[in-house]
Amino acid sequence: MATVVSPAPTGRGTVFVKPLVETLLPLLLALVLAAIVLLLAGHNPLEVYSLLATESFGSMKRIASTLAAATPLIFTGLATAIAFRTGAFNVGVEGCVNVGGLAAAFVGFTFVSLSGFLLLPAALIAAALVGTLWMVIPGLLKSRLDVDEVVTTLMLNFIAVSLTAYLVNGPLLAPGSANSATPMIADAARLPKLMRGSTLNAGFLIALALVILYWFWGKWAALGFETRIAGMNARFATASGMNVPGLVFKMMLLSGAIGGLAGGVHALGNVFRYVSGFSPGYGFVGIAVALLGRGNAWGILLAAILFGALATSGATIQLFSDVPIEIVNILQGMVMIFAVARFSNIWRRRKA
Amino acid sequence: MIDNIIHAALIMTTPVLLAALGGLINRTGGLVNIGLDSMMLVGALVGVILAAGHGSWAVALLGAGFAGASLGLLMSLTITRLDANEIIVGLGFNIVAAGLVRFFLKSAYDTSGTLSLPDVTRLPRWDIPVIADIPVLGAIFSGHDILTWLAWTLMPLTVWFLARTRAGLRLRAAGAGPKAARALGLDPLFTRDASTVFAGFMSGLAGAYLSIGVVGIFNEGITAGRGFIALAAFYFGRNRPVMTAVGALLFGFFDAFQIRLQGRGVPAELVQTLPYVMVIVILTVIAVSARKSRGARL
Repeated sequence: MATVVSPAPTGRGTVFVKPLVETLLPLLLALVLAAIVLLLAGHNPLEVYSLLATESFGSMKRIASTLAAATPLIFTGLATAIAFRTGAFNVGVEGCVNVGGLAAAFVGFTFVSLSGFLLLPAALIAAALVGTLWMVIPGLLKSRLDVDEVVTTLMLNFIAVSLTAYLVNGPLLAPGSANSATPMIADAARLPKLMRGSTLNAGFLIALALVILYWFWGKWAALGFETRIAGMNARFATASGMNVPGLVFKMMLLSGAIGGLAGGVHALGNVFRYVSGFSPGYGFVGIAVALLGRGNAWGILLAAILFGALATSGATIQLFSDVPIEIVNILQGMVMIFAVARFSNIWRRRKA
Repeated sequence: MIDNIIHAALIMTTPVLLAALGGLINRTGGLVNIGLDSMMLVGALVGVILAAGHGSWAVALLGAGFAGASLGLLMSLTITRLDANEIIVGLGFNIVAAGLVRFFLKSAYDTSGTLSLPDVTRLPRWDIPVIADIPVLGAIFSGHDILTWLAWTLMPLTVWFLARTRAGLRLRAAGAGPKAARALGLDPLFTRDASTVFAGFMSGLAGAYLSIGVVGIFNEGITAGRGFIALAAFYFGRNRPVMTAVGALLFGFFDAFQIRLQGRGVPAELVQTLPYVMVIVILTVIAVSARKSRGARL
């Protein structure tokens, strides 16, 4: 179970072809199967796909909205990958997105007297901090007691959704508001927009910075090396004197921090408050992003942009044609499934 | 009052128990099924479509079970034959199934989210003549449908199956020692696939229970994560049928209470977290006691 995504050792030269095929195959298969679904529903898949492509990359404005939609997915993809590479199967990023988003919104509408220089960073730090705290329990349980982190983090997702729903329906409900949402955050807490008339905001720059950081860290930092070894072979890592449970704990917390940031950036840059259910599964799509990107920094960036493109163009094609937007979910889920399947098994007989 | 709560709790228990018994068999065979919720959802949809227009409820149940079983087979083959990670595939199936169901509703019925068909045959509820009038006992035994009876009959049957039959032994072998099972000439992968098909069938029934047993219409949120509650139930029961049923019953009571508590100042959202919190607590307790019995320091 540990090595779901083991980032390949970055050698030079010939080893480009195999990972490329391994990355493109799940995508291709998902597109083919989704094409069958579209055909059955009486749509022309080629038309739909070309419409999706032009709607997501056809103009500067569309590219901007694609990148805006990709922003939370870059965070959740990195958060998932950083835990996976250490061998910690964290499927609880979705929960971190929710608690982190609520924390950022809370700071954003509570400490309104602070200036923008302080308020915005404070809100982001709060998001990361609460995301980190959310992972303390599963992290401790995994590293100290070897309790299955899949189950605990999965359960914590549901707890996060219900808990935040309770908070925004009760103590943190906006006065005079009937729906489950916090008050709007102060203007000073909003992430600045990068382009007029689009939702692209400075959160994307933070995400890019994190991608670069993750790349450097994975390649040159001692911790980056140790986590990779621990993920590939925990017993070897232990035998080499590494503290594997300690590494797992640290990386679970880091994963939580980045997941919390995803929610914070979404709250401060897009929604400007926390609304119950404001994450359309960013944490789960983040798993698909991490898997499709093979745990590699640039792979994750590309995969997130791809899924961002799907999300933003899916919404538009539903307006212009009668293709339901759910085709996007179908594609995302299938990419996730196919990314972990080993298709070489079909034409190679299993070893006895 | 107490009768109402007992009755409601038992109704809420049935779908969880059905899916949990399926998931328990599945996990005993060596596969943790995160996709139970997707099979439940598809079963609920197929059930309501087949039962519409004065359809037969038996056919609807079979269809729902079959739909869940097919999904289970697909999922199992991906995991056992293509070596795909069970957790990722399970999560992926939940996403794809939810997407497909909504896509289908929009394409075929031009409706988003809710499907309300005319003349849906509901599952008949059986009243037991004398017992029905006795307080408490009546609420427990009378006025339930076939699936509730099936779920509670299957609980002891599962105990017997796992402990006393050849197939049950092979199932446990496939889960506990696939290599040893293989060396003995068994086919653990086939056994595992069969157990997933069974889990899919049970989840499909659980879905149909929700759509044609409880409400009579289909909604995209009809499972309300009950596939995951079922997962919580067999983790809570540590894969033992009786304790799993106790877990399902407990969650059924939470569900029934939560409905009553709405509008009385007790936040329903917090009650909803209880099953999940309990699983984490139980897993912790198990791990601590396992560590103590090994004599290690904490």
